Amino acid sequence: MDFDYNRDKDLAKDFLSNFADSNGEAKYMNILQDVANRKIKAIEIELEDLANYKDLDEEFLRRIAENTRRYIEIIASAIDELMPEPTEAIPDDDHDILMTQRSEEGTENTDGSDPKQKMPPEIKRFYEVYVKASPKGRPFTIREVKASYIGQLVRTSGIVTRCSDVKPLMQVAVYTCEECGFEIYQEVTARVFMPLFECPSKRCDVNKAKGNLILQLRASKFLKFQEAKIQELAEHVPKGHIPRTMTVHFRGELTRKVSPGDVVEMSGIFLPMPYTGFRAMRAGLIADTYLEAMSVTHFKKKYEDYELRGDEEEQIARLAEDGDIYNKLSRSLAPEIFGHEDIKKALLLLLVGAPHRKLKDGMKIRGDLHICLMGDPGVAKSQLLKHIINVAPRGVYTTGKGSSGVGLTAAVQKDPVTNEMVLEGGALVLADMGICAIDEFDKMDESDRTAIHEVMEQQTVSIAKAGITTSLNARTAVLAAANPAWGRYDMRRTPAENINLPPALLSRFDLLWLILDRADMDADLEMARHIVYVHQNRESPALGFTPLEPSVLRAYISAARRLSPSCPEELGDYIAGAYSSIRQEEAKSNTPHSYTTVRTLLSILRISAALARLRFSEKVAQSDVDEALRLMQMSKFSLYSDDRQKSGLDAISDIYSILRDEAARMNRLELSYAQALNWISRKGYTEAQLKECLEEYAALNVWQIHPDSFNIRFIDA
Amino acid sequence: MVGLPYDCLTNPLGAVRLTFEKAVASGSDPATFDGKDWGATDLFSQFLFDDGGLSKVPFLNPSTMTWVQPNTLVRFRGMIQDMLGNEFYVGAYKEGETWRTNKFADLSQFPMATGSSPDMRVWERRLLYCVPVPGQNSWIEPSSGALLNPCAISSSPQREKRQRDNDLAMDDVDMQVTDEEVHDSTSNKKMREDGIASGSSNSGSTPTEGVGSATSVLPNFDTTSFPCLVKIYDSPDSDLKLNDVFEFIGVFTFDPEFPVDKNDNKDLESSFCDDTLVQMPPSKVPRLHCLVHRKLTAQDFISGPLTFELKSQLVKGIREALVGHLTTVLGNDGVAANFMLLHLLSKVHARADSIAVGKLSLNLTCFTKETLSIFGHRLNFALKNLLPFTHYVPLTVDYLNKVSLAPRKDYQTNRLVSGILQLAEGSHLTIDETQLQAGTLNSTGVDNARVLKSLLELQKVEYDFTYYKMDIPADTQLLVLSEGKSNILPADLVLPFRPLSLDAAQDVETEVLRSWRWYLATMRSLSHSIEQEMQKVVEDDLVAARQADRSLSSQDFSRLLTMGRLISLSFGETSLTLEHWQMAKELERLRKERLQGSS
Repeated sequence: MDFDYNRDKDLAKDFLSNFADSNGEAKYMNILQDVANRKIKAIEIELEDLANYKDLDEEFLRRIAENTRRYIEIIASAIDELMPEPTEAIPDDDHDILMTQRSEEGTENTDGSDPKQKMPPEIKRFYEVYVKASPKGRPFTIREVKASYIGQLVRTSGIVTRCSDVKPLMQVAVYTCEECGFEIYQEVTARVFMPLFECPSKRCDVNKAKGNLILQLRASKFLKFQEAKIQELAEHVPKGHIPRTMTVHFRGELTRKVSPGDVVEMSGIFLPMPYTGFRAMRAGLIADTYLEAMSVTHFKKKYEDYELRGDEEEQIARLAEDGDIYNKLSRSLAPEIFGHEDIKKALLLLLVGAPHRKLKDGMKIRGDLHICLMGDPGVAKSQLLKHIINVAPRGVYTTGKGSSGVGLTAAVQKDPVTNEMVLEGGALVLADMGICAIDEFDKMDESDRTAIHEVMEQQTVSIAKAGITTSLNARTAVLAAANPAWGRYDMRRTPAENINLPPALLSRFDLLWLILDRADMDADLEMARHIVYVHQNRESPALGFTPLEPSVLRAYISAARRLSPSCPEELGDYIAGAYSSIRQEEAKSNTPHSYTTVRTLLSILRISAALARLRFSEKVAQSDVDEALRLMQMSKFSLYSDDRQKSGLDAISDIYSILRDEAARMNRLELSYAQALNWISRKGYTEAQLKECLEEYAALNVWQIHPDSFNIRFIDA
Repeated sequence: MVGLPYDCLTNPLGAVRLTFEKAVASGSDPATFDGKDWGATDLFSQFLFDDGGLSKVPFLNPSTMTWVQPNTLVRFRGMIQDMLGNEFYVGAYKEGETWRTNKFADLSQFPMATGSSPDMRVWERRLLYCVPVPGQNSWIEPSSGALLNPCAISSSPQREKRQRDNDLAMDDVDMQVTDEEVHDSTSNKKMREDGIASGSSNSGSTPTEGVGSATSVLPNFDTTSFPCLVKIYDSPDSDLKLNDVFEFIGVFTFDPEFPVDKNDNKDLESSFCDDTLVQMPPSKVPRLHCLVHRKLTAQDFISGPLTFELKSQLVKGIREALVGHLTTVLGNDGVAANFMLLHLLSKVHARADSIAVGKLSLNLTCFTKETLSIFGHRLNFALKNLLPFTHYVPLTVDYLNKVSLAPRKDYQTNRLVSGILQLAEGSHLTIDETQLQAGTLNSTGVDNARVLKSLLELQKVEYDFTYYKMDIPADTQLLVLSEGKSNILPADLVLPFRPLSLDAAQDVETEVLRSWRWYLATMRSLSHSIEQEMQKVVEDDLVAARQADRSLSSQDFSRLLTMGRLISLSFGETSLTLEHWQMAKELERLRKERLQGSS
């Protein structure tokens, strides 16, 4: 124990005065100057700096990390000796006046021998020293901080669950003696202390005066003190366990840094808190522990703030070189859900999004893509939604009939304690800068449905209730899932009837997918096999490819989101041409619903930009636009199969839609071969094509063909 | 016990110390003992399981609390309800030149130097808050008579006396007990020293402490919930999970005199008084320093020797008798009885992609007020007799709005507040929906309904940690009784209930009941597989079924497979045969027929 702390003090002094950061600046001397000028109070020593210091003494570094509390004291005394004179005039405050007075009196008043009369260094200091752990490596989970770490500097992460008020904590108690008039100092290291009652000074001792001591609150030194509890994050808790908690003490400048609900990473000293008083006698064996906070960092959950770890950057670079990244990423979304490749691609683009644009006249154009999935019950819509929320760093999952009164947008509520009206954000506001997945979109409340119009285009929520008029940001990508109007998709009705959402709302979705549960022998067998496999082997069958981890996906997407690709001039014409041809087609069609608007054009641009982002390109390429057009076309096909002819679909499908439409028109399930031939020849198709069509769709179980007469019978789905 | 200078039963701490001293003497450095065992656990394992000491260890429960001595070996059966985190304690320290240990003890036997010194090793132990398994039925409670502590038997006359004139004779009796204890444990010189040392901290020399106060404190113990704070040493985290049912064998410590000055605490920790000592004063919650723990299965609860063997003939016989019994209970509804049997055998045996494989919840519909009053009660009684842990929840709007089903974390006290759905693995839950009237659910009610639904569909309960929710997997058999098909609680099987007669079931002999309990517990735990050829048959059947009926979903397939599995398990067979698969399909057909008939 007789370790040479003075040597370490010299080491600390050497480091503080000679350390130069990457710019060659004397980082810590600059900080000390600021402290001397009373601009800042906290001196944060980063162990990372120490590790990078040219004259690094590994042992010294280790000693600091393992006996941090002692070394803070050493560093502080080193700083005391290094502290430069203020270069700026600083106003004297009470503290300074007291200090001047003390130093004047100091020499004559003390008799030197009594430590209680020596002024403790703490009372002179007007700064606080913190040691910040190296940010390298993974922080501990609370569970991993074990008894062997007591006294050491640890880095851990968690969610703040409780915070106490900030209270003054006495650091040095100062008394004056009624008899001899001496100032007596008492350092307080614990949370409780036994006040002195008798003057320990030599004069009183000799005189047997037993001078009465009076505590001088103004002269004593207090620190701000706050206590908090942090709890393990859900992802760190092993299965079948409940989250652990840890007490954290914040002092001085670190107080008021956290509030309940914050996800933080902090470094601090893991210390035992001995019981005091009577309890110490009985429970002498047990000690509570706490973390003396040294630094606090708030976790950033937004993509923009996502910090890549070293290995992730490499991995992303490797992925980006892979030409097939678009497919690879999209397949890794909800890998357990079979098929739906185009939908997954669309969802991937939703995660990536396009850059927001702000025009010169202040108009904003959103970059978030909105997607609506519509489909029969049991086609894994909700699972897709939930999976997307898991991948997104900030995602809110809710249902159209949100359970709380706040609903989707926002509500004005009366605070039960203060009776004040407070604004409470709903799911859309909470998902600001993230993704809001709304299940059962069709069952949404009328009031929310009107508000969602604004959210989806202007990306704000406006509130005018109970005297509060305000606009909240809701820059969120909306991913909606809805059931068709009659629960299941009714093939005999038009898409508009089935969808049952107002066109004003529908036009705001960039992509709309219809997922139908079609009769398909292979799919059935696939399903049966899957279930038997699960029952037999107690796990899901292998996927045939290794999906990327959600964390990798997140990292890749966040890297992609940093780009803001622009559309080059020469592509402008191409897009305009594509857009006008879609408009033309629609004008020609006799179906009254026209969903191609200027919004469609913006959608094309958005999807193309998202695709460019995925390629890590700053420029939108023609291939991006083509893929965007393809996706939009596919999404349309899933909806309006009767539009296929105009959209240039192949003959076989066209023949099928002709036959189906005619059958639907006559409200019959059976068609004779002759009739069928008649209709298709009118449209200019051949008999061979009809035969091919009959076979192909019979295989898909859409209809049955009579083996002799070739008459068609639709299977009612 | 020859050769053992310490009696593991009455002086376990002595035995712990002995092994510690031995280990130190053999040259091990006590500093390396952190998180490791130096042989104490082995000693106790040998004593308990190889030397048959287990049956001599008394259970800790409200009735035995009256006479169990502090610092003796006891066992406690319970469910882990909450995990309180780790406790740091001085595990080893030097007294002069000798190393001492405090492991498995609350207080040190030898004076300790105050203040920290390098020779003081801080170790940690885990605190588990255990409660008797919720819904535990009376038949599984161990009969205390057979398990008396030999020491307690020797002092039983005094015990009786004590009960008669409680406090008066107290001091006197305690002295006698202590004397006997000391006599019991040898007269070894070392032993004497220990006797005195431990005596000072337990029952003996100070009459105000120890057993005397134990009896006086007893009224504080809530007999229905008899919690126990178990301190676990050295076992890996993954061993003990929330809601697991365990038997803990360890040192019982009890310190009724522990002073907790509430006011003092208020001043000190006004903001955070989540101290375990304040919330769970030792006078209310006994402590158990666990030496050995083992996970309990349903079979462990069937007391007495098991004479049954896994022979197909025997199993078939029991199965028949049980189905017969269930049929009578269900008013001669044979189909319902068959489904009930499958339901009672179901268990979640795997989880794949959020699907709980093997669950089979049952919804018996067509209950009216009258039939419920007869059969509901009967059924409940029958289930209580057959299964170790059962619950009955009458579902009303009021109930849904008020009760908290899912556990939640209370940050004021830093405790997990239990909810009704915090159940041990394999519990049975009957939900009676017949009393549900039209009404409005508040937000609690909506939440509760959602929690119930997720339990039914996914076998998961969402625990509320305010800042986030955590899905804790559950394995609960759910039986729903309702008038029509329950939409709030979508069960795997919906079956209209058709009672034919109202004859009451006759009483069943205990031995027969025991055979049924054994049957249910054992068959449930059998493993099961589907052979290659059978897989093909099953796949083809499923595809054909779906071709015929497009509305069949993957859930239906899954259910059918589960039924097949359970039917073959109910015959004690571990692989699916064609015969049993046909039976499953036939049962399903009967059920479909009924469903159509009733709609």
